[in-house]
Amino acid sequence: MKFSKKLAAAFAIGLTLVGTAACSNGGSNSNSSSSSSSEKIAKVKKTTNIVFWHGMTGVQQATLKKLTQDFESKNPKIKVKLENQGAYNDLQAKINSTLQSPNNLPTITQAYPDWLFNAANKNMLVDLKPYINSKEVGWGSSEASNIKSALLDGAKINGKQYGIPFNKSIEVLTYNADLLKKYGIKKAPATMDELKKDSQIIYKKSNHKVVGAGFDSLSNYYTLGMKNEGVDFSSKIDFAGDTSKKVINFYADGIKDGYFRVAGSEHYLSGPFANQKVAMYIGTSAGEGFVKQGVGNKFTYDVAPRPGKYTMSQGTDIYMFKHASADQKSAAFTYIKFLTSKASQLTWANATGYVPVNQAAADSAEYKDTKKLKLPAKLEDAMANLYSVPIIKDAGAAYGSLNPIMQNILAAAQKKQNVNDAIKAGKTKFDAAWKQ
Amino acid sequence: MKTNQKKAWFFLAPTIIFVTLFSIYPILRAFGMSFQSGSLIDLRWTGFSNYQYIFKDPEFWLAIKNTVLYAIISVPVGLAISIMLAWIIFDKVKHKSFFETTFFMPYVTSTIAIGIVFRYIFNGDYGMLNFVLRCLHLHAPDWIDDPAMSLTTIIIFGIWSSLAFNIVILMGALRNIDPNFYTIADMFGASGRDKFWRITMPELVPTITFLLTMNVIGAFKIYTSVYALFNGQAGVGNSGTTAVFYIYNKFQIVGTPGVAMAATVVLFLIILFATFLQRKMMKKIGEY
Repeated sequence: MKFSKKLAAAFAIGLTLVGTAACSNGGSNSNSSSSSSSEKIAKVKKTTNIVFWHGMTGVQQATLKKLTQDFESKNPKIKVKLENQGAYNDLQAKINSTLQSPNNLPTITQAYPDWLFNAANKNMLVDLKPYINSKEVGWGSSEASNIKSALLDGAKINGKQYGIPFNKSIEVLTYNADLLKKYGIKKAPATMDELKKDSQIIYKKSNHKVVGAGFDSLSNYYTLGMKNEGVDFSSKIDFAGDTSKKVINFYADGIKDGYFRVAGSEHYLSGPFANQKVAMYIGTSAGEGFVKQGVGNKFTYDVAPRPGKYTMSQGTDIYMFKHASADQKSAAFTYIKFLTSKASQLTWANATGYVPVNQAAADSAEYKDTKKLKLPAKLEDAMANLYSVPIIKDAGAAYGSLNPIMQNILAAAQKKQNVNDAIKAGKTKFDAAWKQ
Repeated sequence: MKTNQKKAWFFLAPTIIFVTLFSIYPILRAFGMSFQSGSLIDLRWTGFSNYQYIFKDPEFWLAIKNTVLYAIISVPVGLAISIMLAWIIFDKVKHKSFFETTFFMPYVTSTIAIGIVFRYIFNGDYGMLNFVLRCLHLHAPDWIDDPAMSLTTIIIFGIWSSLAFNIVILMGALRNIDPNFYTIADMFGASGRDKFWRITMPELVPTITFLLTMNVIGAFKIYTSVYALFNGQAGVGNSGTTAVFYIYNKFQIVGTPGVAMAATVVLFLIILFATFLQRKMMKKIGEY
């Protein structure tokens, strides 16, 4: 009996030690590879395999596959393995849990910069500046890349260029042009007040059959609502303050009266929009591929800049992990360069509704005059004032917490209850989210 | 004094190694991590701050409240319905195997798939359930998109999906009851009710104890059905959040594994306590 106890204890201690040793090993590995940062950046001469983790579905995934095939046929030495990790949340979770065993990480991944904040601090990402400046693999300079500088800046963590923007989108207003015409609305609403007024008209004239408008992302609704009121997204926001209440009540009043709605558990309003249950909605431009599919020939839809001054700049960048070999890194950068080239970005943007990150592509007549999507013609106006969530500690968590908080508030509004209690409860949660 | 055979260790080694590596070590690691803060790749010792954080976090309390309510409502109700159905199939129905197979089907189907089907059944606008309710002129609530209904929906789904496993196990137990008991009871003119309460139920106690333990532990670990029912979210406004949802979210999305592990330890203690309590209770009933 005693012997078995001793043995079990020894086992447990031994394993804990092995575990800790393995952990510290991982740490020192990533450190040692960081010291040898002066790897040769040269064209890939032998067959190289790279892995790309992404979160693209539907039209987006199909287009990404097609682009990758084109790339492989042009670069027969490089094989790209596309690995779909599910939705963004799943991708983020997968990256988070794989960071502790760096050898299992892909060569490159789609990611929002705040997901990789810790990885950057731990020196696990490749600073892409030398690749951008390399004449052989990159463009020679960031200007020569033609990638919009604002977007490049958005892919920096701690001032270092760890990411290259790839699939960028903005929030736009998508509306049912036929319905608006039917109810005598001449042009798409440009301000939030016009959105409210038009929504009321639609709801009334349709005998309460068609809801005026709704917002896909409640986090974005709140963040931009505050920004439009002159308040930046930070831990200083008083969620139960007057400005905040004004922003919240604008939506809540609409829901109480029936002319606004939320997406609920369906997450996106493109479904109800295609079924003509809602006349307008504010959502990502990357949804246009899905809208087009859903609407078909049922009615004419169109896209307009998001009402209000600011719109959200969102979408992921591509980041490279340090553990890869020099060849893999060069190969991966060649692939990134291909994906952000004018031709690729044209194909990508025209198929999906993402915004071209390449300025030459965005300026080209092929993009602006495309008949495939409605966004390109409106892009310049729609992108006049961009905003994105700052990359600071816990900003991502706080931004994420806004969605369920707003859902609770608006659910109370739907039941015609007073929303003040829900706002108060929301304040507690919002403040807690800033202190993870 | 008796000693264990040295040779036995050799034969037990594979199991011991696997259990230590994949069960005991993770528990110890989770316990250790609950005292650490920072991201997974940058853990630092922090003392009890994670515990302080979760005890102050309203989301955590909501998760625990939902989980406990789910366990204490869905398990007994599910088990009672299972016993009833199993008894009916066993006693009153012809073509038993057909019904047994039918009832077992949900168990071999993926929870995600069933959850998606239920999402449509429960839909407030075009769901089948509300269609039926409206036909009967009953109140048709918004099962999925009303935060106040989330837990009810999860409980209904939980009860329904627990039936499959319970019924099959109970059918097995019913078959094992010595038929002579019933023959003798019939000879003495016992009613159906007497037979059920005096023979069937006492004979089922060990099986029910087993099912209760399994169901309660399962109920405390509920995650997949919530995920499937609410399309990847813990209900509208996180109203249907559960302990495991909280843990997953803190670990994977927010990136604070220490907080997640502190919640894990608390959940572990709750399950331990609930199981202990229940075993005590069942022992009492068994003695009786």
